[in-house]
Amino acid sequence: MFWYDLASSLLIGIINTLELLLISAPLGTGLGIAVGILSSRKGFLSILARAFSSIFRGFPLLVTLFIVFFGLADFGIYLSPTASAIISFILCSSAYISEYVRGAILSIDEGQSLAAKAIGMNETQEFLHIIIPQAIRRALPSISNEIVYMVQYSSLAFAIGVQEIYSVAKSFNSLYFRPLEIFSTLAFIYLSMTALVTLLFRKLTERLRIPD
Amino acid sequence: MMLRVEGLRKRYSDIEVLRGVDLELREGETKVIMGPSGAGKSTLLKCINLLVRPDSGKIFIDGEEITSKNSDVYKVRQKIGFVFQEFNLFNHLTVMGNVTIGLTKVKGMSKSDALLKAKEVLRAVRIGEELWDRYPAQLSGGQKQRVAIARALAMDPILMLYDEPTSALDPQLSMEVLSVMRELSKKGMTSLVVTHELNFAIEAANSMAVMYEGRIVEEGSPEEVIKNPKTAEARAIFNGRSNYVLV
Amino acid sequence: MPSLLEYIPFLIEGSLWTLSLVALGLSLGLSLGLPIALMKFYGVKLDAYIWFMRGTPLVVLLSLLYWGVFPSFGVELGPFETSVIALGLRSSAYQSQIFLSALNSVDSGQIIAARSIGMRESQVVTYVLLPQALRISLPSWSNEYAIMLKDSSICFALGVMEILTRARYISVATDSALLPYLLAGVLFFSLTHAGTGALEIVYRRVKIKGTLGG
Repeated sequence: MFWYDLASSLLIGIINTLELLLISAPLGTGLGIAVGILSSRKGFLSILARAFSSIFRGFPLLVTLFIVFFGLADFGIYLSPTASAIISFILCSSAYISEYVRGAILSIDEGQSLAAKAIGMNETQEFLHIIIPQAIRRALPSISNEIVYMVQYSSLAFAIGVQEIYSVAKSFNSLYFRPLEIFSTLAFIYLSMTALVTLLFRKLTERLRIPD
Repeated sequence: MMLRVEGLRKRYSDIEVLRGVDLELREGETKVIMGPSGAGKSTLLKCINLLVRPDSGKIFIDGEEITSKNSDVYKVRQKIGFVFQEFNLFNHLTVMGNVTIGLTKVKGMSKSDALLKAKEVLRAVRIGEELWDRYPAQLSGGQKQRVAIARALAMDPILMLYDEPTSALDPQLSMEVLSVMRELSKKGMTSLVVTHELNFAIEAANSMAVMYEGRIVEEGSPEEVIKNPKTAEARAIFNGRSNYVLV
Repeated sequence: MPSLLEYIPFLIEGSLWTLSLVALGLSLGLSLGLPIALMKFYGVKLDAYIWFMRGTPLVVLLSLLYWGVFPSFGVELGPFETSVIALGLRSSAYQSQIFLSALNSVDSGQIIAARSIGMRESQVVTYVLLPQALRISLPSWSNEYAIMLKDSSICFALGVMEILTRARYISVATDSALLPYLLAGVLFFSLTHAGTGALEIVYRRVKIKGTLGG
């Protein structure tokens, strides 16, 4: 009975965790790429982008979670735990991803940019068709790493009451009190999810690889 | 006059790289520029297609002043083909992709039209169909440079600029590239070539200019300048070379 | 907000606990991670340990140890000690990767040269490999410091009196949320930059001249 109950509880937790991840991962990556592009250029927007990245990399995820969930409530903005978690994950992961994208863009050989200009491309065309496609491929390993982190750090959403896997496991433990089995199972679930994400990114990297 | 450069000056921090360069190129003419490294040859070429902005001076392409405030940099660059020493092929695109991207994204051609034009120029530089789906990393140096030439030619330029196109290639691969360039010159493409290849100068060029410390110090036909250099700088380059420059 | 101002010393005091967690966690991570890296370098397979420690969320490891493993073995370790162990174990997995990659990047020609002048393997490690690998690792290790600093906030789950736990207390006591947590964030931010800045200075002093990574 124990294992059956555990499985069914955890299933709910897994669904909630997946909901968090399936929304936060793409949006976080998208925002991260956008901020990364901005921070690699010059000008006021670039400074803002880099400030954004610096702040949300400097704040622990938990602090961001609390600020979004509890802090905004001070101003009458009441967000649900799930919404707060999603927003926090997006802010945090995009900050890190923007750094990887920025680094990748800056690492692209200047000659690529010169050649693009030489055939008459303007800055937008150069970025869109020449720089970005190469930069994303370079940043992919780091981006995939960040998503793997997101899977693990999704556990922190328990702190604001999201019924994700860890939260569910904790409640379950307070009923059945078999922490060794429960938390080991939990570890195993996270390890499996991590392995799955790693595999998916390996496949993606293979598909996008430039033959040499 | 296809190209006229007047009093071009360019300074990088405390070094004046171009100190008043004057140059003329007629339509259909191929001119070679030679000189020691640091003379400003590469900077001169990059100013002509405005990859580098000169500090002062004027540049006229086909009668139009491109250094004026109103000129459209992007339109100008479409008319000029530039071939780099390091090839600078787009690494993430195939050979065909490299040649067609300017046509589709800059000129707005349809994919099928771009493909036709690309095939035409690729045949002109003798890059066979078996290579069209390859990526730059899978090509030899000579193949890369010929694809780079095709990429520039596809845009139908009225002027071709070559910045030491064979300096990164061993003698064997240089030959394939130089012969393509020679053919283009013979077909009437106005070309300005920075190179160290004396044979190319003699066989393919109509005129030669010697650059030294940011200025053009001597000009004339290639044979004249190489065999009878008049200035000290030119003599320093060609002295003792005229013996084995035989076709 | 006079009541909030009163609590600021209380909040800043939390830094001592936070930094202790970080210092001890990093030390544990180093003392395990470096040997693991060396073992992997010489061919010992330790992938399972690394995989487990890297793939398990910190909060799960904390719970597993504090409520599961330690009580089962009759071990009585408090929240602080358990936190240090959890942080240290996870860090050892990440640090072992940092050191392994640094060891691998030391030119193998040097190892062969050292052996051929008669050095025993332990001497090769001590006099040729480690001095270079440790220097090369500094930038990544500095990153590990930053990560550990932020992860230490997770130990609030066991009630350790670090910065975030205190921010929560203050938030409840003053019935305001934004300011305490914002201040906590600023505190973490500052400690991160101070630490990585200091490590950057150390790195510049010790780096191997003439090489890219060093």
